[in-house]
Amino acid sequence: MAKKWIYWFDEIGSDFNDLVGKKCANLGEMTKLGMKVPPGFAISVDGYEQFMEESGAAKEIQSYFHENRAMMSLVGKQVEASREIRRIIESKSLPKEMAQELRHSYETLCHQVGIPDLAVAVRSSGAVSMPGQMETYLNVRGKSELERKVTQVWASAFTARAIAFRLEKNMDIAKAPIGVAVLKMVNAKCAGVVLTVQPTTGNLNKVVVEGNWGLGESVVSGEITPDQFIVDKASGSCETTISPKNKMVCYGQVGTRVAEVPKHLQCEACLAPDELSEIVRIATDVENYFNLPQDMEWVIDQDLPFPENIYWVQARPAKYSKVEQDESVYLADLMSRIFRM
Amino acid sequence: MKVYDVVPGLEFDAERDLAQSPAWFLDATHSVPPWTPMFGWFWINFCRHGMQYGAEKLSLPTVHGWDWRFMNGGGYLTLLLVKSEEEKQRREVEFRKAILPLIKDYDGIWNGFVKEVLGRYKKLKELDVDTASNIELLDNFEETINTCRRMWEIHMYMMYGTYTAYILFENMCRELVGIDDTSPSFHRIVSGFDNKVFQVDRRLWEFSKIASDMGLEDVFLKNEEVDIREKLEESDSGHNFLKQFREFLNEDGWRMQRMSEINLPTWVEDPTPALSMVKQFIQKGGAFNLDEERKKISVERIETEKEILAKVPSEQRAWFEPLMRLAQKSGIFSEEHDHYLDLYTHAMMRRSALGMGRRFVKAGAIDDHEDIFFLIPDEVRRAGINPGQFDLRYIVDRRRSEWLEWQKTPNPPAILAEGFDLDQAMGVLVKSNDPIALKVVVGSMPQVRPELKADLYGTCGSPGVAEGTARVIVTEDELHLIKEGDILVAVSTSPSWTPVFSMISGVVVDRGASLSHAAIVGREYGIPVVMNVFEGTAKIQSGQRIRVDANLGAVYILDK
Repeated sequence: MAKKWIYWFDEIGSDFNDLVGKKCANLGEMTKLGMKVPPGFAISVDGYEQFMEESGAAKEIQSYFHENRAMMSLVGKQVEASREIRRIIESKSLPKEMAQELRHSYETLCHQVGIPDLAVAVRSSGAVSMPGQMETYLNVRGKSELERKVTQVWASAFTARAIAFRLEKNMDIAKAPIGVAVLKMVNAKCAGVVLTVQPTTGNLNKVVVEGNWGLGESVVSGEITPDQFIVDKASGSCETTISPKNKMVCYGQVGTRVAEVPKHLQCEACLAPDELSEIVRIATDVENYFNLPQDMEWVIDQDLPFPENIYWVQARPAKYSKVEQDESVYLADLMSRIFRM
Repeated sequence: MKVYDVVPGLEFDAERDLAQSPAWFLDATHSVPPWTPMFGWFWINFCRHGMQYGAEKLSLPTVHGWDWRFMNGGGYLTLLLVKSEEEKQRREVEFRKAILPLIKDYDGIWNGFVKEVLGRYKKLKELDVDTASNIELLDNFEETINTCRRMWEIHMYMMYGTYTAYILFENMCRELVGIDDTSPSFHRIVSGFDNKVFQVDRRLWEFSKIASDMGLEDVFLKNEEVDIREKLEESDSGHNFLKQFREFLNEDGWRMQRMSEINLPTWVEDPTPALSMVKQFIQKGGAFNLDEERKKISVERIETEKEILAKVPSEQRAWFEPLMRLAQKSGIFSEEHDHYLDLYTHAMMRRSALGMGRRFVKAGAIDDHEDIFFLIPDEVRRAGINPGQFDLRYIVDRRRSEWLEWQKTPNPPAILAEGFDLDQAMGVLVKSNDPIALKVVVGSMPQVRPELKADLYGTCGSPGVAEGTARVIVTEDELHLIKEGDILVAVSTSPSWTPVFSMISGVVVDRGASLSHAAIVGREYGIPVVMNVFEGTAKIQSGQRIRVDANLGAVYILDK
């Protein structure tokens, strides 16, 4: 029997990083913490390798690299190589047994959620950070479409940037440990990020929440100015900045599209107060658990009631700049003065 | 005879000590009723040490900390003032550097200290004081002494640091927002925080619910406090309940019934006080929800913070807000340190001293293990390794009879040099700018406002108005007399009194300032507290109906 290569999120955690990639391991870890993540499963690196072997793609790629090795350091050649390799992978269909297993897992997921032909997101999940290897397909419906997208995510391990990166780091060009996350698409009312530290000032007393209507892509990509909520951890007091939000990302028939935000919603806060405080509460809990400021992505499902409507799709340590606290010196000076009175 | 000095080197000597300082104040919060010799020795030596340590570590510009003396079971204190302007300036420069770590990483420093003392307690508890050798036991006693000394260093360093921030915040509120620390909205800002003492309180409340779930309500309601434990043991579910309860006490029950004394059992030895608090929660009934009560206060705080911050000019907010956070921590510290520092250390002192006491009784050096509290550490050392070789009963007898005498006549509130009056003495305290003197001991002087026609005038410790039956409480062992809705009248309150705050509707205390226990806890429970009325316990009698209007600082006796 072949190796197990599909895992449900509750079977994995952060120690599965090498097997299922960071994103999946993270979704598993969040599940363990009791956070609500969209239901779904992970395809491990073993699945990728089994596919590459059984479909013959690995051999073809190897011989391609072998023939073109000398020219590989040229940028133009890397672009060409990327195109060629992706073509090779995408032209292969999933071996029969693997296809059956994937279909079975998808059916189980549809059954769990209670929606036939459930729309899912198919996301790459690299075991190591690799730029340009973040291929994601949203709103994927049906078994055959799912199979296609999974092979496309695998193929995305061979973007020109990824090839260049592997060359630079002296990594094996033909190998690309990549996992795939398959998870239910959340019918997003709004989505965004939460940071448990103010990234610009390094102020650890604040939580910053940003969000827009629709899917989170518009916030993460930085294309629009989202609503911003700066919440004080100790007091819960909140500074709200509502930005006019005219664009949002929605599902298209297939994949996603950019849509106009209805006029009456453009200047409305995308989060209700109780949703905001629940997001902040969970984010600070996670921060306390890891004892590190967190950078997390949330989605509000419009089909579910509060608080079940809050889904988490990402939690990782936040990057922020520590700034020298000038006000400390000023406060020390003020304090010394009270002894003069 | 010098051998009978309770605190050698620090006994009050009127002639010499009044020449050093013209005013010595009784620490009525901690040393009324008078201390046992053993406890007095620890307090006078190490509280004194800690204050001077804290003042020096922080280089407080105007004070070197306090000096303490022991007299007839009372602790008397005076300030060690910085004398020259030049020295003040030099210390001020140092102070600005020394206070920085507390501003930048308050939580890190405090949590580090908590970890340090909990580590020390753990080591002390590891020794089984009943099976240890005499040498090990004496060693444990010596380590307890060192722990107490260290505890006071941490205590006073933290207290001076946090209270300084609090006073600055108060000044800035007055300057920028126009409110001071007797104003209700000021109090709302500094309350509504969780801390260890409330967490313990919450556990007791949870136990009241567990007791109800286990069908044990009647055991609590139908029995006297002292009998509850025994009655619980009679049933399987009661036995189970006690098992869980003891686990909790082993974690959090290392505290004294009276905060500043060691001659009463800890909760671990005698769970009666803790069980009676469970009983009080049961009496409140299932509808009472401690979490809801506390949430209300924190919501109010957040609202008030917004109002206050809106009044602060925006260019000042960058430092005003962190200052507000620091000031809020002083309230949390005020409560929490009692649990981690004073109460826990004193419980360790009692544990080790009673271990010695039992050993001494066995060897015939003293008659009763509690007689150890009439000895001081030097005398314990005398017989520590060879208790069978010494008869210490003559010291115990003489000290006990002195101690019984001390109980009969109250110590004077202040000892003053000829020609020096109390107003002058208070003036010295205020002018010292000593943060602890200002915020815990002296407080603001009440304004007498004849137009209010009140019977007593005080300052607002916690805002609100209440009417109810007065209950005058002198010592902790009378706390069980308090009934739901009573108004507590006392000289002052201490952390072991905290749980009754969930029952009472108001508080009147003779002495105290905005960081005194009664004020902090009153604010957390959202009940009015009038402080510094001076004569409350003298003028009010238990059973009288009284009305307190903390917002105005007024107390009315309704049936005179």
